[in-house]
Amino acid sequence: MSSLPLSPADGGGRYPGFRTLDQSPHWDAATTEVVLARVEHPPGIRFFAAREQALAQALFDLLLAQTGEPRVPVLELVDARLADGETDGWHYDGMDPDPQAWRATLAALDDEARAGSGSGFVEADADAQRAILQRVQAGGQDDWHGYPASHVWSLWTRYACTAFYSHPWAWDEIGFPGPAYPRGYKNLGVDRPEPFEVPDAHPAEDPVSRGARS
Amino acid sequence: MTSVRDRNESAWLLPPHPGQNHQLRADMRRFADDDEIDIAIVGCGAGGSTLVQRLARRGWRAVAFDAGPFWDPERDWVSDEAGSHHLYWTEPRVIAGDDPVPLGSNNSGRGVGGSMVHYAGYTPRFHPSDFRTHTADGVGADWPLSYSDLKPFYEDIEAELPVAGEPWPWGDPHSYPHRPHPVSGNGELFLRGARACGITAKVGPVAIANGRFGNRPHCIYRGFCLQGCKVNAKASPLITHIPDALAHGAEVRADSMVSRIGFDERTGRATGVHYLRNGTEHFQRARMVAVAGYSIETPRLLLNSRSARFPDGMCNDFDQVGRYLMVQGAPQTAGRFDAEVRMFKAPPPEVSTEDFYETDPTKPYKRGFSIQTVSPLPITWAEHVAAQGHWGTDLRRYMSDYPHWACLGALCEFLPLEGNRVTLAEETDRHGLPVARFSYSQCDNDRQLMDAAQGVMERILRAAGADEVITIKRFAHLVGGARMAADERHGVVDRNCRSFAVPNLLITDGSVLPTQGSANPALTIMAVAARAAASLANREEE
Repeated sequence: MSSLPLSPADGGGRYPGFRTLDQSPHWDAATTEVVLARVEHPPGIRFFAAREQALAQALFDLLLAQTGEPRVPVLELVDARLADGETDGWHYDGMDPDPQAWRATLAALDDEARAGSGSGFVEADADAQRAILQRVQAGGQDDWHGYPASHVWSLWTRYACTAFYSHPWAWDEIGFPGPAYPRGYKNLGVDRPEPFEVPDAHPAEDPVSRGARS
Repeated sequence: MTSVRDRNESAWLLPPHPGQNHQLRADMRRFADDDEIDIAIVGCGAGGSTLVQRLARRGWRAVAFDAGPFWDPERDWVSDEAGSHHLYWTEPRVIAGDDPVPLGSNNSGRGVGGSMVHYAGYTPRFHPSDFRTHTADGVGADWPLSYSDLKPFYEDIEAELPVAGEPWPWGDPHSYPHRPHPVSGNGELFLRGARACGITAKVGPVAIANGRFGNRPHCIYRGFCLQGCKVNAKASPLITHIPDALAHGAEVRADSMVSRIGFDERTGRATGVHYLRNGTEHFQRARMVAVAGYSIETPRLLLNSRSARFPDGMCNDFDQVGRYLMVQGAPQTAGRFDAEVRMFKAPPPEVSTEDFYETDPTKPYKRGFSIQTVSPLPITWAEHVAAQGHWGTDLRRYMSDYPHWACLGALCEFLPLEGNRVTLAEETDRHGLPVARFSYSQCDNDRQLMDAAQGVMERILRAAGADEVITIKRFAHLVGGARMAADERHGVVDRNCRSFAVPNLLITDGSVLPTQGSANPALTIMAVAARAAASLANREEE
């Protein structure tokens, strides 16, 4: 098992050697079962049809900049939620419940790409894919294939971020130690890491201001 | 005042370690559907649990229903964000209006303990001014009761949770039964920034025992308060009121969704509750019914309880059911520090200020806001970052900076508006019952408060040394929807939570609140339910 590929310029390698899973012997049984299942047994695809699977994979790779292996199995985690009906329940008036909205918006990605370049979204080049996503993100209340663009963007990013940042490999990348029961924390306060926490190796290289400059 | 243990033994009925008293649950009294019990209570959250504990102590034969499970924290809860999805009410609902309010994870509970299972743990009192905003400021509504009517119940509940915090200088100044908790990096920066701005900030008030309380263990500062406290340190009715209720002969009937309130056209009285359990419909007979399903499900249940007498829903003669529902504007502002804050360590609720709570005559808006520490875990933090428009490598880069951020949240007093309400949608749930449609639109005053609160949070974080601040606009909490009022043309229940239309029907949850202040509502909901219980028991037993 290795860390997720992410260049240092994009925030990779800031917590060298930090591995949340090293702490798993200190987790309670119920938590261990839930968290390790995400790592050890990526579930098979049950909700998305084949084309939807390919579209969703392309969408999630773009939203989360996953370009190589290993990957957090975002597609599989989202598919499992939709297959099990594990949604948040609510939906916007005029928007379909999440499972239908997912199918419809993935199909719309294909329609949008074909209308532009003649090829499907999955087959389009990365720049064309990004341009489509940017249009949805910037669309606000405008209609995008039958839904307000902002609701579509919210649907995609909510599911994508929830899946990605539920995974221990993503926690390694952001310095988050994961489950904390029954161990807890004892060093509270600014700049007071626990023995098992790894401080940021480049605290002076504020990636935020670097991002703002680029 | 009697000692806490003499009036509520819950903390001593739990085992002397994390976990539940399994024997107490196994020995729980069970009533038959045909028994006419004294009261059927719908919902086992802040309001319903307090009511059932109080009435069981007075010898009432009471059953408290909940649509969700009777949690065993050791087995059912996890120290993990995504794995805690089952704590929320995720049955279908439709959200609408100019400013639709997402539900689910943030503001809706499920199972015994209700939303207090996953609330942060802040338990401030309302200020005396909250009970008369219409008279004082020409906005909102006056309650049919005053702060002093509620004060003794605030004191009782604060001792039972118990609440930890510094002596409180705002509203009606008071102290707390437990000393304030030590603070983490996030709380430290809030205190530092506030001091530099001349703003008073205090540690607390948090319903987490500081030290052992009864058999409940000390907080371990693991930061997962919003995922359910496996430690039993943070108060929720599951551990603060239900154990004592069971010990006094109450029944908790979990996994039982009440679908309709029974009604006798001849007598005009409620007769019990229809409920669904394991796919089968049952009817529990009861002498009285109390609804405590919170601001969405309480109106929905009333609207779904139709009869010849109530063709538009029970207690809805004057089209009041579901109206004046409120959320609080809850913008969340984060600041970036070169030092490591690691805000995920320690409970998210730590420090608050109520300096901006009251109407400031120099400002163009009425009423105000409070500011508190919030400490989002990675998924919630990603939502905050993504709201800035970041995705792809930008998102990953921002997220890698997580230990450097501190985060504050405001609670803005949105005003009760007639059109903000629950109605029934055409869509039905898996039981075939129409689901709630919740419509919300802000008024100008609401928007001005959101902007003002954001400005103050940015000021505090910059004064503490933040070199960048980012904000996400969001909402928190629900109250109103079946409010108390002086008469039936302005509300659904009276000052004692008794419905105007049906003499043996009460509503004892957050939906009865006519205004919300900028306080987290849990403590007030419990105090209102405790007061309703006292008034009900005294009257019935006269």
